[in-house]
Amino acid sequence: MIEKIKASTSEKIIFTFVLILGLFSITSFFLLKDKCLFIKNYDPQKINFKNPNNIAILNVGCGNVIIELYPQISPNGVERFKTLIKSKAYDDVAFHRVIKGKLVQAGDLEFGKKGNINYTKIGTGQSGLGTIKSEIDKEFNYSKGSVGLARSLKYNTEDSQFFIILQDEPLYEGEYTPIGRVIYGIEVLNKIKYLDKSEYVLRPDFINSLKMFK
Amino acid sequence: MKLFKLILLCFFLIYHVKADTIYDLIKIPNLEIYNIKTENKLRYLYAKRPFTIGIDNNIKCYKSSKRDLDQKYRIIKNNLNRYPKNFLKKINLKYIVLCEDLSISGVNTAGIPDNKLKTLILDIKFDEKYFERVIHHEVFHIINDSFKNIFNEKTWSSFNPVNFNYAKCSTCTKKLGLDTNSKPKGFITEYSESTASEDMAEVFSHLMHGSLPLKIDPILQKKIEFIKFNILKIDKNFIL
Repeated sequence: MIEKIKASTSEKIIFTFVLILGLFSITSFFLLKDKCLFIKNYDPQKINFKNPNNIAILNVGCGNVIIELYPQISPNGVERFKTLIKSKAYDDVAFHRVIKGKLVQAGDLEFGKKGNINYTKIGTGQSGLGTIKSEIDKEFNYSKGSVGLARSLKYNTEDSQFFIILQDEPLYEGEYTPIGRVIYGIEVLNKIKYLDKSEYVLRPDFINSLKMFK
Repeated sequence: MKLFKLILLCFFLIYHVKADTIYDLIKIPNLEIYNIKTENKLRYLYAKRPFTIGIDNNIKCYKSSKRDLDQKYRIIKNNLNRYPKNFLKKINLKYIVLCEDLSISGVNTAGIPDNKLKTLILDIKFDEKYFERVIHHEVFHIINDSFKNIFNEKTWSSFNPVNFNYAKCSTCTKKLGLDTNSKPKGFITEYSESTASEDMAEVFSHLMHGSLPLKIDPILQKKIEFIKFNILKIDKNFIL
């Protein structure tokens, strides 16, 4: 006859502790794995925009980044950006240059496309539409969330690459063509993959889509 | 060797990419913003630590005390405020780097202009006697580098006495005196005799500083007219 042994109080406490610890570990594992946790995903359809024709929706892994474009500040830059957006040129293009807390850069249409990345040349690619002139004469406050067109060391070499700054950069005024500013979802960009030891990212995150709101 | 590799590995492991906007823009490390809210949009930066740049790191400059910076900044700003925003844009000058004991290949210098990077490095501890004037001297080098075709050296040299030849470079001669000649014979200072470009810069700086000699000989007069005439080609509203 097998005698039923009752668990002592201390054994019950240990069992309960182990159970809670196990549950906590499993929950934490899934929570920590989700890098987009606590990041709000803005639905542009639920927002009233003053200038809906100048709103661009950048969709990335953790949600939407809503950008207001400023054609009155840089007409040619914004026109180029819109042209490329409308042709879906930015879809599946890498964030190839990311500096934590400072900026994210994307838009190399030649060497940064998903499935066709060229790590030796990324950042030097062209759109095929040619370069445009820098538009840097008008005053613009390069505050956090500002969107600008990237260029080489020389002016008038802007093409398709753009950057979004994650901190204020007053020295960028007069250096880079500003095309707009993030008005919702800047926190999404903090989750774009970066490397500690290099500005250029190996196996980078990609733009899912970049569309005009209207 | 193993120890070296180990140290190198440790360095790599602890190294993190650091964002340095100023370095990205003008390729000079260890700088911070001194003042960027200026009327003519000049951006003043200062060395928070010594820096070395150039070929084989031959250009060196050191940090200054806040007191010295504040004192010299006022003087520099007053002089550079004479250049309007549009003029500075045309000549490609935007960043002024303030530091002290500036040297190039071990030779002390008042300033180092780089019009490609839109930068002028100024030694704030340069000789007080010439300090304000050399600011304009260095600005002229930026102007000259941006408008080589306007400030033609052959035309300039044709003003000189027939047998005169400049040295091959500004540091290839012992003629380094910056005192203004009271009785000039074509050259406003001894340093003017070094190269055509330094000669032009000396004339320009005297014009800007308002320290032309009382007696001006015909050669120097031609040089003054040359500078005045050609500077207006860059900006017809520029006031010398």
